[in-house]
Amino acid sequence: MKNNIKELRQKLNITQEELAEKAGVRRETIVFLEQGKYNPSLNLAHRVAKILKTSIDKLFIFD
Amino acid sequence: MELTLKQYNTIRLIIVFILAMFIGNMIVLKNYFLPLILIAVASILLFSLRKKVKGVLADERDYELGGKSALLAMQIYSWTAVVAMFVFLAFSDINPVYSAIAQTLSFSVCYFMLLYSVIFSYYNKKNLKDRRFVLTAFILAFFLAIYLIAGIYVFILK
Repeated sequence: MKNNIKELRQKLNITQEELAEKAGVRRETIVFLEQGKYNPSLNLAHRVAKILKTSIDKLFIFD
Repeated sequence: MELTLKQYNTIRLIIVFILAMFIGNMIVLKNYFLPLILIAVASILLFSLRKKVKGVLADERDYELGGKSALLAMQIYSWTAVVAMFVFLAFSDINPVYSAIAQTLSFSVCYFMLLYSVIFSYYNKKNLKDRRFVLTAFILAFFLAIYLIAGIYVFILK
């Protein structure tokens, strides 16, 4: 599943480490998320969307 | 003193390595009591170190991977054990111990599958918060473990 996490994160000047800490996950999870190699739970998707000040449907591109 | 995840993993690896070495040696020396104490001490040590780790130790992705890995490991073990069991049974005429090994392998596969089914059912019904079910599963697993250990002892060590 494609997503806009990297773009939005860079826009807000947040590092992967910071995003991981705020979302309560490991940095590797953020890396895999950004690469589209991991589909997060609804809970994590919601947390990431909240940190990046957006909504889930704008963050993830459902094909 | 706070530990990073990398430091914790390194320490854990060293502890497991030392523990495996000690347990191997103790079993060769037929000392079965000391390994139990060592495992308990190592568990307490790791548990206390775990509390000192800064940051997230494991997240949902790790749990997902853990679940998939455990299932695959169980499947690989089951198939390998079943094939090995037939090989040992085929050669049981050469040495009667082979028959005992085959039996132990088959019991271990049954035990794994039963344990998997019980744990799966537990997680499937977790929302029901049925404490009696958990207790029954624990007792069942405990007795099966004793049965397996006793089986190994009777067939191989005796």
